[in-house]
Amino acid sequence: MINLTERLLVFLFVGLITFTAWAQEPEPDEEEEDFSMYADAELADGAKRFCTNKVLDQSPNKLISIGYDFQGAHDMTIGAWGSIPSTTVRVNQVSGIRINGNVPVISKTNMLLNVGYSYWEANYTMAQSSDNPLVNTLDTRGLRTAGILATFFKPLNEKQFFLIQAQADLNGDYFLPDFQPLTYLKYSGAAVYGWKKHDRLFYGFGMSRTYRIGEVNYVPIMLYNYTFPSRKWGIESALPVRAQLRRNFNPRTLAFFGYELEGQSYRISNIEGINGVKDPELRRSELRIRLTFERSLKDFIWISAQAGLRYNWNFNVDEGDFFRGFFGEQPYLLENSLTNAMYFNVSINLVSP
Amino acid sequence: MKKPVLILLFMFFGLTLFAQADADAILGVWETGSGKARVKIDKSGDKYVGRIVWLREPKDENGNPKVDKNNPDAELRAKPLLGYSMLKGFEFIGSKKWDNGTIYDPENGSTYSCTITMTDDNTLDVRGYIGVSLFGRTDVWKRVIIKKS
Repeated sequence: MINLTERLLVFLFVGLITFTAWAQEPEPDEEEEDFSMYADAELADGAKRFCTNKVLDQSPNKLISIGYDFQGAHDMTIGAWGSIPSTTVRVNQVSGIRINGNVPVISKTNMLLNVGYSYWEANYTMAQSSDNPLVNTLDTRGLRTAGILATFFKPLNEKQFFLIQAQADLNGDYFLPDFQPLTYLKYSGAAVYGWKKHDRLFYGFGMSRTYRIGEVNYVPIMLYNYTFPSRKWGIESALPVRAQLRRNFNPRTLAFFGYELEGQSYRISNIEGINGVKDPELRRSELRIRLTFERSLKDFIWISAQAGLRYNWNFNVDEGDFFRGFFGEQPYLLENSLTNAMYFNVSINLVSP
Repeated sequence: MKKPVLILLFMFFGLTLFAQADADAILGVWETGSGKARVKIDKSGDKYVGRIVWLREPKDENGNPKVDKNNPDAELRAKPLLGYSMLKGFEFIGSKKWDNGTIYDPENGSTYSCTITMTDDNTLDVRGYIGVSLFGRTDVWKRVIIKKS
């Protein structure tokens, strides 16, 4: 038998539960609130504001990218070396997959760390066989690049930032999974100090160690990202490596026109016939002048289609990897050239929030 | 007989009120990491929602109030951004976390899965992501104090 006190307690309990449920705040009315009261406010505990690493309407960061790159027919002339005469061969195509990843590991307002990876192939198809050892290894083995990349963005306040990038790549005529020894890793990087003047302008200056011209070099770098007030056009650039004019049709459809200098030094370990040469390095660099179209297929899945001219910048061979710089006079082991070719690149991408 | 019942009831109410205070700690006005917007987080039923209540640039290039022009649903593109519900469906899951919600980015018209973590009384880590949390981005929001005029 429940006594009076217990009945009262049960009544109070039920009553309180009911009241709690009834007292839940109703759904906020979007129409009635006076928003002007939120203009005059300050951050609690005096917190700092920090600039972001993007300008308005900038192209989205690609978390994962899987693509295919194709260069059309062109001529390859390999210079003479020792008893091996100069030769010119017809290259029917150079093609291969390109896989890239770039994932934010630390993503805070006051710090951003992205870690990425890349795997690129360049498979050569020659029109005819050749006795030349470099042509042979390109024909039978092709070139591969596998690398890791880390980008650290540190805003100091609302206007200024540091950006540091470091990259390590293994480039050569190896087949997976037999990588070359890690002693052949190529290191590159950049350090930039910059300003974000407003939501549409972001620029910075710094120095880079780069293989973009095929061989290691140290060059000043300038970042410049700008969106015009109309927000239909913009510029995305990291001079002198790349620059492109951006057209925003809408947030899910973009087009670009510009160029990029692509390059690496490839350790060729399978040139038989060039006896006595240690560590031949193919200095491959090309300027790509291109038109790019990017569009969201569905939500965060984007397609990118790119076409343009591949202009040969460097295809010479050195003995060993060393710094020549702009003014060095060390001769190349082989002085080679390529005629220019049309190319296209298509990729499917998962883009970042 | 009475004492154990009373103790149990007080314990129940105490825990309920304590948990409710933790869950409601997210209520208030918050400024996004870029400083371009302030979002007021309210409670709707047992869910937490957030509306844009202030924009640093409230007008578009033609001087009109900004609308949700990037919304994939054409019928919603005329809706004003001021007052727009950009956080929806959050539930308090304990340990200063609110989960199972979504965040809408008016800059590109995309909606992401989202988890909110309160790192201190005045700071929220708002992580929008695609599918799994690894593929995401965290924005740090700071609480703002509205000055009484």
